Amino acid sequence: MKRMFRLSIGERGVRRDVASEIAFYIDMRARELIADGRTPEQARAEAAAAFGNIARIETACRDERRRDVRRRAWREGVGSVAADVRYAIRTLVHAPGYTAAALFTLALGIGANSAIFSMVNGVLLRRLPYANADHLVVLQQPVASLGIGDIAFSPLEVADYRAAMPRTEIGEYHSMSFDLLGHGEPRHVQTGVVSADFFRELGVRPMLGRTFAAGEDKDGAAPVLVLSYQFWVDQLGADSSIIGQSFTMNDRQHVVIGVLPPLPPYPDRNDVWMPISSCPFRSSPQVKSTRTARMVSIIARLPDDTTPADAQRRLALVEERLQTTYPDAYKGVSDARITATPVHSSMTDSARPAFLVLLSIAGLVLLVACINVAHLTLARQLRRQRELAIRVALGAGRRRLLRQLVTESLLLSIVGGAIGLLVARVAMGALSRFASRFTVRSDAIVLDWRVTLFALGVAIIAGLVFGVLPIVSDRQDVVTRLRDGASTAGTGRVRLRGALVVGEVALAFAVLVGAGLAVHSFARLLETAPGYDPQNVVTARLVLNFTKYKTRHEMRALGDQLVRRLEAAPGVTSAAVANAFPASSSQPRNLSLFSIRGQPAPDSLHQPRAEVNVVSAGYFKTVGVPIIAGRAFTADDRDTANVVLVLSASAAHRYFPHESAVGKQLSFNNGKSWSTIVGVAGDVRQFGPAVDVPEQVYAPFASTGTNDLRILVRESNRAALGARLLDGIVHSIDPLQPVIDVETLEDARRDVLASPRETALLLSGFAALALSIAAAGLGGVMAYSVGQRTSEFGIRMALGAERASILRLVMAQGISLVVVGVAIGLGGSLAFGAGMSKLLTGLPRTDPLTYASVAGLFLVVAVLACLIPARRATAIDPASAFRAS
Amino acid sequence: MAGSDLFVGTLDVLILKAVSWGPTHGYAIGRWIRQTTNEALQVQEGALYPALHRLQRKGLLDEEWGLSETGREAKYYRLTAAGRRELRAEAARWHEHAKAVSLALSAAKP
Repeated sequence: MKRMFRLSIGERGVRRDVASEIAFYIDMRARELIADGRTPEQARAEAAAAFGNIARIETACRDERRRDVRRRAWREGVGSVAADVRYAIRTLVHAPGYTAAALFTLALGIGANSAIFSMVNGVLLRRLPYANADHLVVLQQPVASLGIGDIAFSPLEVADYRAAMPRTEIGEYHSMSFDLLGHGEPRHVQTGVVSADFFRELGVRPMLGRTFAAGEDKDGAAPVLVLSYQFWVDQLGADSSIIGQSFTMNDRQHVVIGVLPPLPPYPDRNDVWMPISSCPFRSSPQVKSTRTARMVSIIARLPDDTTPADAQRRLALVEERLQTTYPDAYKGVSDARITATPVHSSMTDSARPAFLVLLSIAGLVLLVACINVAHLTLARQLRRQRELAIRVALGAGRRRLLRQLVTESLLLSIVGGAIGLLVARVAMGALSRFASRFTVRSDAIVLDWRVTLFALGVAIIAGLVFGVLPIVSDRQDVVTRLRDGASTAGTGRVRLRGALVVGEVALAFAVLVGAGLAVHSFARLLETAPGYDPQNVVTARLVLNFTKYKTRHEMRALGDQLVRRLEAAPGVTSAAVANAFPASSSQPRNLSLFSIRGQPAPDSLHQPRAEVNVVSAGYFKTVGVPIIAGRAFTADDRDTANVVLVLSASAAHRYFPHESAVGKQLSFNNGKSWSTIVGVAGDVRQFGPAVDVPEQVYAPFASTGTNDLRILVRESNRAALGARLLDGIVHSIDPLQPVIDVETLEDARRDVLASPRETALLLSGFAALALSIAAAGLGGVMAYSVGQRTSEFGIRMALGAERASILRLVMAQGISLVVVGVAIGLGGSLAFGAGMSKLLTGLPRTDPLTYASVAGLFLVVAVLACLIPARRATAIDPASAFRAS
Repeated sequence: MAGSDLFVGTLDVLILKAVSWGPTHGYAIGRWIRQTTNEALQVQEGALYPALHRLQRKGLLDEEWGLSETGREAKYYRLTAAGRRELRAEAARWHEHAKAVSLALSAAKP
């Protein structure tokens, strides 16, 4: 009888086969020769000689055999995997309900994870587009006593640091807005002003032309401009002939020398860049000679062997020396302490905790999803017992069967992952907007190969988890039991399903608590009275061209005229100009130091300080800030020598706790002149309700003035005054004045609240996902359990049990699972809440209201999820239940 | 057999021909080649084996193990479908070739 295949071929098999084949040949050949008349010895010798070098031929044969074996093994493998996949597709198509439910759950779970990972990838993992990114640090001078993150540096200080740290490249930066004329309409551009070596230091190569050359930042150098990629594309239509052309800026011709590649908007979103010599403020003699003219930032490139910590230690020594040498320059900021922060962390530090919390929440959601699919799979395997038993009977081995089951789950999870990537793609825009609240790197959030790989990896892990979990976590091996032909599930299996539900509920509870905390903290922000009335107020910003409005008098004249014309416009209740308005910026601006007449002057560190707002007479009425004591400004408050002031309530309370502030005097110039307080206004939470109320001092615009004007118009009804009308009024006074940032006060306030709102929304989305998946899981398990206990319930009812007691029985079973899950989730989320608190504002992480309401919600959902199967249990007809069993 | 006096590929096509009538073991293939070529191609008998294994790897031959006439276990080679196609193509090529060469050699002086 012939053996068909010899497939057990290992290395030893190959060796044996080849040797025996050749021995056979030589034997047969020798026989032939013996038949011809040779002696056996002669025959063997002759046969071997004719054959040639046996060892070499064997080697040659073995090489061919080995290659053949490998080829067959590969084909075999691919072939059987392909067969498995084909079979899996067939069985999954025949179970459309299971397939759809599993795919839907997996797509959401994997999609959520891929989307969040794309944020982590883009912002935290991807390299910055600076060649020298690893050695770049941003230097800052935080002042703890003022709560200011950075008081910036003066050009004189920059020169001192540069001289003291010769091996460190010190780049100078600040940003200003200017009007750009030429090439179409006047544009108001944000301009980065830098030292000539700035881009070389970062390691940025221009996309077109060149960046600044050494010496181009020296006084008297011809003014030049480098364009940002975004500005070049959006405003100039990516016209490459722009190099060499010139724009008028600040009454001077500026030649365009280059275009930058796409870069993150760091340190600010600048449209164009110029060397410091081109900036009229930076190159003014006063700025260059004043040690306190702190208007620039420093980005430094450290030598390769220096860590940021080393650099910071050395910089601190320099700063200490400067403080000793120039004590006057550090008046009020003597506790300034220089820091060196890697540029990458300064871009991403505020995003990191939020993203990691989101990623872990997404991970929990995926875990819940996996458990749910594991449930579905478990239930399906029980239904498939007959099919699987037949396959076992036909000789499918345990491994083969397991492989088939795992192939099915992997197929599901990979297809689910692909759909999930599509889901993530859809969410990408919204996520990028969300991330832009935390980091300038939000542009880098894209679906790249790393995100795709991540999704694939997550899909495979998920597939293994939900595919293998039901098989291996059971005490009794599924295959063994199938082979034994058992038809009903053992108690171990019921217990496993219970455990899965408990786990699911616990995870979903933790996610829900996270979302609940975010929603609650956001609701609290909304409830907080802002201290002003943002309804029906339109704002706009005019940054006055300094070449036209040289003196404060000219600025005041423009402001007066504007207010008069605006108030005359139809539909306008009142109008005002100011240097800021509530929620016009998200950070408190620099504070001014003052002294109080009749109170002893404390040391400079503890000198009173407040934010000074320059506002026109109609401001309080227009913005809706109440006057609590004294009076508001009037049109007659225009004395520039004896300026009158209005204090905010918190400032008045702090500095005049036991008496009225009205009539008291303050000085902002060390007593050279005194200003009288005429009124006290209500507190305004202008940096969003999250930040403590800033202490404010208001001064009349008519006696001070500002070149950064905010127009405020209160209208009789919403949108009575269109943006175009507002433009028209401004341009009727100055046709060349760009009007920017037109928005309503409500929009501005919404912007300040956007970050917590979007966090709450995002987390709520996750929570809804987790809750519905968990509810579906619970409902499924209860339905299954009722199905299993049909005959038991039938017997109970036949023995006289009331329907209500059956209902109670089923409900009690479901709810006890939920209660255990909630208890576990509670413990977990208390630990988890520590991370959450980074994302939230003004809320303790053990907020009992949130925990209680989430637990309540869970019980309601659990009751609903159990109700349907429970009602089915009560509808059992005892007679038919007996028949069925 | 295979050697300088044999065209490259000649051994391969002879092997394919030798197994074309049914499963054949290596010794029988060698014997058939020796006898049908009048022992003209006798160089090194062992060279047959690497060629057999190479053809097997290429998928032109398949193996079966069975008992030989003498009752010993032997490896039998059998043509695969691809091997049969290859044999047909190679045989046609050989006939063409031989015809062309023979035509040329029997030509008269132009």
